[in-house]
Amino acid sequence: MGMSVALERDARQAALVKLSEEHALVRNAQAGDRLAFEELVRRYDREVLRLATNLVHRAEDARDIYQEGFLRVYRNLHRFRFECSFYTWLYRIVTNVALDHLRRRTSRREDQAPVPDEADGSTRDFFDRQPALGAGSNPERRLLGQELGEHISAALDRLSPRERMVFEMKHYQGLKLRAIGDLLGTSEETVKNSLFRATRKLRASLDAMR
Amino acid sequence: MRQERDSNLKNPMCAPFESLLMLAAAGEEMDAAEQAEVNEHLAHCAVCSEALEREKDLLLLLAANRREPDAAMLASCRASLEDALDRQEERSWPRRLAGAFTPLGWLSARPAWSAALLVMIGFSVGILGPRFFAHPAMPRVAANSAAPDTSSAQFVNSNDASRSSLGTLDLHSAEVAGINVFPANANESPQVEVQLRAQQPVTLQGTVDDGNVKRVLLDVLRNNEKFDPDVRLSAVELLRTRTNDPEVRSVLCHAVHTDHNAAVRLKALEALNGAEPQDIIRQTMLDALVDDQNPGVRIEAMNSLRDMAAKGQVESDAHTLAVLRGLMEKDPSTYIRLQSAAAIRDLGPRQKF
Repeated sequence: MGMSVALERDARQAALVKLSEEHALVRNAQAGDRLAFEELVRRYDREVLRLATNLVHRAEDARDIYQEGFLRVYRNLHRFRFECSFYTWLYRIVTNVALDHLRRRTSRREDQAPVPDEADGSTRDFFDRQPALGAGSNPERRLLGQELGEHISAALDRLSPRERMVFEMKHYQGLKLRAIGDLLGTSEETVKNSLFRATRKLRASLDAMR
Repeated sequence: MRQERDSNLKNPMCAPFESLLMLAAAGEEMDAAEQAEVNEHLAHCAVCSEALEREKDLLLLLAANRREPDAAMLASCRASLEDALDRQEERSWPRRLAGAFTPLGWLSARPAWSAALLVMIGFSVGILGPRFFAHPAMPRVAANSAAPDTSSAQFVNSNDASRSSLGTLDLHSAEVAGINVFPANANESPQVEVQLRAQQPVTLQGTVDDGNVKRVLLDVLRNNEKFDPDVRLSAVELLRTRTNDPEVRSVLCHAVHTDHNAAVRLKALEALNGAEPQDIIRQTMLDALVDDQNPGVRIEAMNSLRDMAAKGQVESDAHTLAVLRGLMEKDPSTYIRLQSAAAIRDLGPRQKF
């Protein structure tokens, strides 16, 4: 137990050092140091791009979210007052940009992926129908995998922008519900309800694929 | 809605537990009572147990189909962002104003003309400058030649014997606009430049040992509501090398107790960690550990106290032990509880927990 406590302490110390370094970078960037701002971008941009890539279908849309998000951070950096972590502040901006993008896209019907129909009309459960995709997938399996990916994309498209965002942040960004609420400017209970509806819709959409 | 109804028919589960099963599949987010309730139900309900497994399978399936941006896409995004930032800077109004008066675009394509223009400007400033800028009434007190001339503000050396320029300036109430630090050699204190806003801007130069500079830095931390967090952070950073000074120690402790910004409180605690152990410091750390709302600050306070306890610099008096025992039993942070137990162990004979 002593070793794990010591390791945890070392980890905490390292986190505090990193926090101090980040504060220095932010102050320098606020003073106009472009290199400091670019260093801040490099600390978080992979996560931001991953979030954007999994929220939208097209690579160019993901790029738009990335660029617009970081440009807004750059323009508003002088307003950051260290009252929260830079990560939280950055993610608030990026999630708002991503939500705006999803809302604009939802209103455009041509972006909705069509739902393919199964030919055999079977009533088996969705999971039972999935082929086992091994490491040595043959072309037929690759095609089935591609169809599966399309089904999943279509199912995710049925979520509202907020449901999509909450689902992504909870399951793939590793955030707790309270942190998600803080980022989206809403309560933990509202986030929980969004997650619940998203899960229900996904379950229903994937089961309905025939 | 119909899809959801049909799905529920195929995937039955007990309705009251549907949301809890969703949280259980997510791997966390339930308190102890909810977790116990779910475990109790799952032990007796095969339908919900199967539903939970299906929920986890759904998440695994979705996770397996996630996309990871490749390095090329990331590099491309970064390059585009750099271009966008360049355009952003070009659009800023000072550049536009400068561009309106200087044909920068024309000159950049003609380096010979640029060089000639530069030489002409240099000669002009050298010959005509003194006639325009010299003013006998201007009280320009000698500045430290090593420090750069950053503005048209009045420069005042903190140790200048002729205090005429400082005499009319109340350093306690002057507004600090910024603090710059210039590194020095190994055995010398760094040069500090404090930009003050008064009726006429004043830049105060010196080291942290200079009375006026120290006074301003201490006032920044005493009156924290008046100054920006970055100015306060700079003040703490400069004063951390002077924690043997009782006045500095007292003001740093005040910052830990009262500053609104967690980063400033954290930095002040770090500064006190290296100081000679004093009751005021130990009490400040205990207070931060118990009262501070920020977990990072509390962890730093705990680490500092443990350091001091390990060095025998913390007395195992009843008050300290009572505080640590309370934290060990009730603190919401597992780390704080463990560290409190370790600190109690360090302080004296083995305690029964």
